[in-house]
Amino acid sequence: MKSIADTVVTRGGVSGPKVHATADPITTEIVRHSLNSAANQMKQALIRTAFSPVIYEVLDFAVAIYDRQLRLLAQAPSLPFFMGTMSFCVEAAIAAVGGEGALDPGDIILFNEPYGTGSHPQDAAIVMPVFLEEQGDETLVGYTTIKAHWLDIGAKDPYATDTVDVFQEGTIFPGVKLYRRGERAEEMYRTVLANSRMPREVEGDIKAEITGVRTGAAALLRTIRRFGLETFETSVEQMFNHGESTVRKYFERLPDGRYVGSGEMDSNGVEDDPVPFEVAVEIDGSTARIDYTQAPSQQRGPINCPLPSTVSASRVAITMLAGGGEAPNEGHMRPIEIITRPGTLFHPVSPAPCFLCGWPAIQAIEVIYGAIAKAMPRTVPACSGGDICGVNFYGARPSGQPWTAGSPHPVGQGGHHLGDGGTMMHISEAATRFPPTEVWESRYPVLMEKVELAPDSCGAGTHRGGLGIDFFFHALEDMQATTTVERTRNAPWGLEGGGEARPNSALLRLPDGSTRPIRKETRLNIPRGATLEYYTGGGGGYGDPNERDPERVHADIREGYLSEAHARKHYPQAFAGGKTP
Amino acid sequence: MATRIGVDIGGTFTDLIFFDDESRRLVVAKVPTTPDRPEVGVVAAVGSAVPSDVVARTAYFLHGTTVGLNALLERSGALVGLLTTEGFRDALEIRRGDRDEMYNLFWQPPPPLVPRRLRLPVRERVMFSGSVRTPLREQDVRRAAEVFRHEGVSSVAVAFLHAYARPDHELQAEALLRECGFEGDISLSHRISGEYREYERVCTTVIDAYVRGRMTSYLTRLEAELAELGFSGNPLVTRSGSGSMTFGEARERPFETIMSGPVAGAEGAGALARQLDLDSVITADVGGTSFDTCLVLEGRPQVTYEGRIVGLPVQSAWVDVRSIGAGGGSIAHIDVGGLLRVGPQSAGADPGPACYGLGGVEPTVTDAALHLGMFGSGTFASGTELDRDRAEAALRKVAGALELGVGDAARGIMNIASANMANAIREITVERGIDPREMHLFAFGGAGPMMATLLARELEIGSVVIPPHPGNFSALGLLSSDLTQAAARTRIMPLDRGGLAEANRILGELFTDLEARQTGRVASQADRLREVKFDLRYVGQEYTLTIAVTSEGGRVEITSQAILETFTREYERTFSYVMDDAVEIVSVRATLRTPLPNLALTQISTSSGGDRERSLPAYSFSKNRTLTFRVIARATLATGESIEGPAILEEETATTYLDADFRAQVDPSGALFISPSEAPL
Repeated sequence: MKSIADTVVTRGGVSGPKVHATADPITTEIVRHSLNSAANQMKQALIRTAFSPVIYEVLDFAVAIYDRQLRLLAQAPSLPFFMGTMSFCVEAAIAAVGGEGALDPGDIILFNEPYGTGSHPQDAAIVMPVFLEEQGDETLVGYTTIKAHWLDIGAKDPYATDTVDVFQEGTIFPGVKLYRRGERAEEMYRTVLANSRMPREVEGDIKAEITGVRTGAAALLRTIRRFGLETFETSVEQMFNHGESTVRKYFERLPDGRYVGSGEMDSNGVEDDPVPFEVAVEIDGSTARIDYTQAPSQQRGPINCPLPSTVSASRVAITMLAGGGEAPNEGHMRPIEIITRPGTLFHPVSPAPCFLCGWPAIQAIEVIYGAIAKAMPRTVPACSGGDICGVNFYGARPSGQPWTAGSPHPVGQGGHHLGDGGTMMHISEAATRFPPTEVWESRYPVLMEKVELAPDSCGAGTHRGGLGIDFFFHALEDMQATTTVERTRNAPWGLEGGGEARPNSALLRLPDGSTRPIRKETRLNIPRGATLEYYTGGGGGYGDPNERDPERVHADIREGYLSEAHARKHYPQAFAGGKTP
Repeated sequence: MATRIGVDIGGTFTDLIFFDDESRRLVVAKVPTTPDRPEVGVVAAVGSAVPSDVVARTAYFLHGTTVGLNALLERSGALVGLLTTEGFRDALEIRRGDRDEMYNLFWQPPPPLVPRRLRLPVRERVMFSGSVRTPLREQDVRRAAEVFRHEGVSSVAVAFLHAYARPDHELQAEALLRECGFEGDISLSHRISGEYREYERVCTTVIDAYVRGRMTSYLTRLEAELAELGFSGNPLVTRSGSGSMTFGEARERPFETIMSGPVAGAEGAGALARQLDLDSVITADVGGTSFDTCLVLEGRPQVTYEGRIVGLPVQSAWVDVRSIGAGGGSIAHIDVGGLLRVGPQSAGADPGPACYGLGGVEPTVTDAALHLGMFGSGTFASGTELDRDRAEAALRKVAGALELGVGDAARGIMNIASANMANAIREITVERGIDPREMHLFAFGGAGPMMATLLARELEIGSVVIPPHPGNFSALGLLSSDLTQAAARTRIMPLDRGGLAEANRILGELFTDLEARQTGRVASQADRLREVKFDLRYVGQEYTLTIAVTSEGGRVEITSQAILETFTREYERTFSYVMDDAVEIVSVRATLRTPLPNLALTQISTSSGGDRERSLPAYSFSKNRTLTFRVIARATLATGESIEGPAILEEETATTYLDADFRAQVDPSGALFISPSEAPL
């Protein structure tokens, strides 16, 4: 990272030295595969032992392995949005405890400072330095790390959309040793649990994370011992070069130029005005430069996006596009440059509130694709519903037992040159699943009245967008909720002449039948008998709707994806000459 | 003891194996699979390999079939109609919202098995507790029946929310459909699965409805053809969740046959592990296109309770076989970033590896192994001669691009393939907190014995077992699969006296249902074993561990404290810590097992004479150079005989590559035990 005037440029680890001749492509492939496998083993260990469904069912976590220079060796498929932030977590966590020299074998560090993690404090990182023991020497060789969503770590509310500084957002552990030489630091451990509304769940999840980082450490050491440290290190250099070359080859195909995309946040959470912003994508040979310098000033409400989160959004967007469909490593990040300006929405300065930093990041991914579409529309889909339409319910059961439950929800995906969009989670949470109604109802006093595709909610096009979903949550007891429905003021855009889709929306229907619209709200009172209704957005269309095959229009009507009225309006060609479905 | 025939239908070949109780002979045969009418291939195999007097006294015909799987793969099942709770007609299409390929911006889920116009809502609602919130509206079912009739639906799935807690509405819907004159098949979700998670249960019910017609008519035709050949014993099909069931039951529960073919190898490994008294085994089944691995603990393949096939969940007992795209036919290529990759693309059986000379030009694992001399003479007993020149020409493509010699490239391909397989084994063992170094590795499938010592080195495993007839081992596995029925029900309750009483009540119902499913002539009630398992978890945790619970004839008599202790031990072994929290029962599982008469294999020497031994150069991965390998016909080895590597053991269906620093010994069972030379056998 270096400053140029008042802007900051962030790059992936710079290109490595020319690789030693012994790093043959075969050993490199075996090392690459073994490291990805090690990350998968960490992920499985975490999933199997985690306490809260948000980790096990929703996969709200990331696991990764770094080398000693803090370069990403491997990560397991999990929450893409966390992936790009992890190197910042590790770097800051190690600096906080006093640098490399202060690390001992068996140490495990807890770190959740939002400006270092690029997440809210609930997304706590656990970092374990890995030491190779040989002939009595202990050499630091890398780090295993997990960032996972804890149900609660003491924010002003279990989930909040209206914080005004970072201190309202949760208890901060700025890099503390949770284990010293394999022994749990009891005082710190008790302090963590004392700061949670849900200490039992958090304790279970911490134990799962400890199991996970230790599993990963063992797998990393096995890989290193298999080849010897020297061969391992040269293979890793070659592996990074391989990742870099994959992404560079992709961008070499794209025409050079500067392309600007624009997005808008509904509000900053404490004031009601929309917050528009621009992101520019500059293709320069094989380098992609993502420029956030035109972003608005940092906000009073919690939509500020700390630098690690901004970098993550950029890396997720680019590696999904150019990474050849594979799990990225540090090399994939090298061709990506991110330019930000401190004091702005995408590079706020502490203690600006940032609890909802994931939401501008989600928007940024769509806006980057919107910008790239201007250069090559075939490379990206049209806009999706553009949000994860999250909800967090909480309350106390009649027994007095506190409870909290939350989930993101699928939206329609944009149509693209290969076909219609589907209905699934936003790409920033591509591996995430929403919980089954039958499991949800067995645990919480919520009755699901409806989980159904919404006809006509897609953008029209040669390839139409995916449909949004209607989710109706009916309260069987009094409860409260924090809703995080974004992108309600702007319809998802189409590409190449494709039409706009239905934007996200939500409303609260009270027992007396009255309703009111909901966007981002904290501690929304939902009395027994009320229903919270979510209408998740559709995907934008791709290509001129008039080019859509009439047969497919008729099929969509037959299957109930489109009403005849919608079809007649957008696809008149399907009815030319009196044709009817 | 009993004479029995096993027939396993694969993509390319239909494998037959039969054991004649009188002559104590085991005979194997292979005929081409006849995909359009698979029973034709089955009958051809039986007709050609088994004398008719033996057919007449055969007690069991055991079958591994891919008919149901193929209906799913080819999307050639029935036109299905689905009745759902109003508000949930799209569960099948929305799924859980995730992507199978998370780094693929353009990923699309496969189209739902039931089109939306045939997924019809019914106003009704049952709660998790089993109470009725909204009674079923009969007119909704009648209206749906009219649509189904109009559309020509031949099979209906009924899947209402929480039906496992109260099946009344599904039963009511079934009666109404019949009342309206619907004569096709009906699948009710609570009969398919008693567990919660609506997408998974709906999907499984729909799969059942989708394959039912094809499966039923296939089994009926096959049964008739077998009768014509003189067979009058019990025809059985292997289940996805281990064990086998009668054709009659398979017609009622066709979804349980989806993985019938692929699990046979794991079943065989279980039987062999029991015979050899080996507690912890991991399988390495290396075929043409895939590498399949499965844990076999205490003589049983590990079973999971949610399977996945062609991207669809199957909520049913499921032998936990993990598969990666790495087999003998896997193609080596240079990726966009310049690394050598092996698989997942495969040359399959057609054109096959370049060395088959059937038109394949891409270098495969088999080509690399041939080039390195790992196949010995390179002539299969079937007469197929492998073409070294074609293998080398294909390998030259990747060697040139990497600026390597052909030999280096071939070694690289083998090393990458074995590392990928070893990683798959590590992942499946680490999930259960097991160290692969403490396991026995069973290597079989056409290419398993070739990879065996490479995998042993990679995983530091001290004991490898090559079963008899490794290339036909899946069919052999069929011969030893017990007759089983299984059912489960989700009911969350504390693990205490009250909870156990309720569990016993549920078990009583489950076993009554299972007994009623016994439609064959297989065995008397006295021979049936009742097995009980509980899914347990700490209160508040989501993930459950499935724990076998000792029972007296299917009734749990031990205390909750004893069960808690087993759970705690198993939990600690898997996760390396335990909690102080209370434990609850989530699901209760009942299995009815009727063991078939024991099939104890003994070594049968079928020496065909000829050269006992030659020697050929081959590459040694242990020594990193080419050595002289003895080439020996496996069948000429006597029981107890020990062979030091480097050696290559040839037999009809596979080639065992015994690297230097390894030693093989022939067990009385006919299996080869391989271990590092310095280790005591």
